[in-house]
Amino acid sequence: MTRRATWKLSAYAALSGFGLVAALVLGRPEIVALTAPFLLAVGVGLALSASPRFTAEIAADERSVEGDEIDIRITLVASTPVDRLDIFVRLPPGLELAAGKQAQSLRLARGERRELELTARAERWGAHRLGPVYLRARDPFGLLVAEGMLSRTPEIRVYPREDTLRRILQPRETQVFSGSEVARHKGEGIEFADMRLWAPGDPLKRVNWRATARRGDVWVNESHPERNTDVILFVDSFAEARGQDASTLDLAVRATAALAHSYIGRRDRVGLISFGGILRWLEPGMGTVQLYRIVDALLDTQIILSYYWTGIDVIPQRTLPPSSLVIALSPLLDGRSVDALLDLRGRGHDLCVLDVSPVPFTRRPDAAVDSIAYDIWILRRDALRHRLQRSGVAVAEWRESTPLQAAVEEVRAFRRHARVARV
Amino acid sequence: MTVAAVTAYAFSGGDTVASAGGTVAGVGTVALAAGLLFRFPVAIPWAVMLAGSGYVLARTHHSVVDGWAAVVGGALLLAAELAAWSLASDRRIHEERPVVVRQSLTVAALVVSAALVSFVLVGAAAVSATAGLLLTAVGVVAAVCAVAVILRLVR
Repeated sequence: MTRRATWKLSAYAALSGFGLVAALVLGRPEIVALTAPFLLAVGVGLALSASPRFTAEIAADERSVEGDEIDIRITLVASTPVDRLDIFVRLPPGLELAAGKQAQSLRLARGERRELELTARAERWGAHRLGPVYLRARDPFGLLVAEGMLSRTPEIRVYPREDTLRRILQPRETQVFSGSEVARHKGEGIEFADMRLWAPGDPLKRVNWRATARRGDVWVNESHPERNTDVILFVDSFAEARGQDASTLDLAVRATAALAHSYIGRRDRVGLISFGGILRWLEPGMGTVQLYRIVDALLDTQIILSYYWTGIDVIPQRTLPPSSLVIALSPLLDGRSVDALLDLRGRGHDLCVLDVSPVPFTRRPDAAVDSIAYDIWILRRDALRHRLQRSGVAVAEWRESTPLQAAVEEVRAFRRHARVARV
Repeated sequence: MTVAAVTAYAFSGGDTVASAGGTVAGVGTVALAAGLLFRFPVAIPWAVMLAGSGYVLARTHHSVVDGWAAVVGGALLLAAELAAWSLASDRRIHEERPVVVRQSLTVAALVVSAALVSFVLVGAAAVSATAGLLLTAVGVVAAVCAVAVILRLVR
């Protein structure tokens, strides 16, 4: 802590000096009587002041979910008396004070241990570094003040609140491991696919006795196996539209977390690509550990301004396995991400786009020319979506006011009824 | 309030010099109010100095040492202490009750002690035949102490 004199000490000392000199010059005893109190305050104050010695630690819950409350504890232990200690805990953006005092003054006796408790509410996902915590100790007369800062503060990782999805997008192709997705090809499974004549090697349990009795030959059932799938979640972090409380990136991250949770729960392999000013990726994996990896990676996602014209060539091959379903969450605001999506489709990836609409974050201008420009922008967005759909990409616009499930259902409907485009 | 009381006391002399002294002390009162209003700490010592100067100016024609000088000194210190407390406190900072009580007691004890010391000084200067010498000696010692403190601060 840095110890320094306050303005009060300088002022009292100057008043004392000036008064005593004036008393000597003018020979007036009254001036000494006026000056003596200030001199006494300085003398006694300096005599009583001592360097404050205490320790301060701050602890908090390290993990939380959006909307939850986080307990923050500040522990103070004094080895010397501290007459007045001011504490201020700065909360980072994304955390709001729910209970307790963010700034308070207290007194510590020698050897006293105090615990201060605050409760903060996690308003936004992300990795939030708590603090800094500012400390200021004053001596009894307020002549000297020691100021410092608690630099080692905990990081609170706030995970995004997830929507619950009842149905998710089914990939066209499946992988080799067992999972929850009914494969299109035939093999060992539960779902009935077809019947065929018995062939050597077919197990007895697959014989369809009714068909065999009716037709005279031995017929066996064929089935679809249940396989897992590869799903790549593609988050566009080139640009965002931001309102007061939320942004398109916030919505995209929440949707990504919800999708990852749903697919991991089905034993699918899920990977992540954060495509923007900084490229981040996670190779596909399965299990709860992968879910935590994805959510942790999402917390670090942020919009980084970049003019670098990047394409999907920079994405490692293993991050985009063939036959994987790529679900892109993008506000379709940046040309680079739109080009990358078209490029992905052009390379034969099974692609869907959830257009996280920036329109609710904007306001139609009042001026005539501006409103025309706004309308043109809306029309161009429609045209862009049609362009993607003509390429065989299922696109659905998702706004904050509607549930994610609605957008997912729209994409499912498109994929069910649309023909596969050859591009 | 205390500075205003000092101003009123300076005005109480009735003559022209007392009025001039009272005016100077009144300027000090206004400076103190402005300093508190605009949260400007530098105004506080100037206000105290103006109020004290006004009082001394009002006493220029009196050859007898004023017995109330000790009270005036204590009042000026009280005004400065309360002003400093006011400037230091912030509504956003929640002060615990023991902190407020202890600071109140500290200020009260300091002002009473200072007034007593001043009273002893004034008494010594008034009754002693060698008041001039004593006053000079005390003044010199005090001045040296003040200079030492300033030097320590500068260093």
